[in-house]
Amino acid sequence: MRYLLLSSVLLLPGCAQLQSMNLTPSTLTGGRLNSNVDVMKVAKGVNQIRKGFEDISESEEHFIGRAVAAQVLTRYRPLNDPGLNAYAQKVAQAVALASDRPSTFKGYHVQVLDTAEVNAFAAPGGFIFVTKGLLKLVKSEDELAAVLAHEVAHVAKKHGLKTIQSSRLTSAFTILGSEAAKSYTSQQVSQLTTAFEGAVSDVVNKLVVNGYSRDKEYEADKLGAEYAKNANYDPSALKSFLARMEKAGTAAAGGMFKTHPGAAKREAELGSMSPAAGYKRSSERGRRFSAAVQL
Amino acid sequence: MRSRLLLALAACLASSVAYAATITVLVQEAALRKRAQSYAPSVGKAKLGQKFETLGLESGFYKTSSGYLHASAVTVKKVKVGSAESVGGSASAEEVTLAGKGFNAQVEKSYGDKNSAEVNFSAVNAMERRSVEEGPLFEFLRAGGLLTEGGSK
Repeated sequence: MRYLLLSSVLLLPGCAQLQSMNLTPSTLTGGRLNSNVDVMKVAKGVNQIRKGFEDISESEEHFIGRAVAAQVLTRYRPLNDPGLNAYAQKVAQAVALASDRPSTFKGYHVQVLDTAEVNAFAAPGGFIFVTKGLLKLVKSEDELAAVLAHEVAHVAKKHGLKTIQSSRLTSAFTILGSEAAKSYTSQQVSQLTTAFEGAVSDVVNKLVVNGYSRDKEYEADKLGAEYAKNANYDPSALKSFLARMEKAGTAAAGGMFKTHPGAAKREAELGSMSPAAGYKRSSERGRRFSAAVQL
Repeated sequence: MRSRLLLALAACLASSVAYAATITVLVQEAALRKRAQSYAPSVGKAKLGQKFETLGLESGFYKTSSGYLHASAVTVKKVKVGSAESVGGSASAEEVTLAGKGFNAQVEKSYGDKNSAEVNFSAVNAMERRSVEEGPLFEFLRAGGLLTEGGSK
């Protein structure tokens, strides 16, 4: 009986929590939209409980990513090759499905950039860019999958969002902490735009100019190889690509040579990884890679 | 007395389980899969804000009566979407997503107008339209020897 009483005391908070949720039968019914909820009212008074990058919402990440992508696409011209873009998109979606984060707010999207610079980067929310210069160094679909999986890992781990100065977020969250009606006043929009500009600028500078820290690059290498393996690609393909990259250029060449750690060091950090049990060599992968990547 | 206590205990236990098992979708669309596997065929789509009761967590997927949902696409946090006029002066990231607030389309438009020479949103829109549906994607995987028998990894 004593145990029974103790158990009851321990479980009572569960009852209280359920009551505080104010749930109606429809909210507890799986699979249906919660029609009796006015979600616009939810944002009345967004405030202090949001503090850091981890409190950036899925939709906000999407809009930050769009703006970062919009800047990238003025610095680099998008390559107008529908076949190649569609092929890269399929490979990226294949490895994204095998990642820790198969769904972002609006999914993963790939664009090939028309530049000889060797580079690849990913904006928050799943906007992935790979240059024509890099694709010239890639020799198989498995290598392309490894490169794209590395970018998916940056998105999955929110490396881009982590580069935003906390003061910008504090500013934005404070503005949002005031009464937020259905749409913002012009003054609120102006203040939010300033904070948004700063956040976007932080991410662009990190992606395109300075590059992530070595730790984040090594983490993306390791996770990318895992994602490639999960997707039944050869996880060692990243090493073969890195070995080729090492011969191709130095930091003076700019792009990835400048923003990423040296290829030899990355290879050493990566270690060895054997393919998944379901891994199969495929002539079709070779055929379609050659058909799509003609640069 | 003992039976009443047992009843109370059972009621509280049930409540605790129900609370822990309600999840809310935080992305525009997520696949409900037949099995707890990334490459299992989908049996439906879950939409932003949709709520499900889970029957447990398996290999990173929440089991629901409608199919399996990847844990990264949902939150198990209590999301205040009640009928109150406000949410007590605070809202979480999840609630901001569901309300479409924070950095949103309105802020993006203002940003785009202010920085029109430095941004190309039409190219971003074209990029966003480039998405492959599950059917053609799985066919691509199958043709490339990437899908094992039964459609799962």
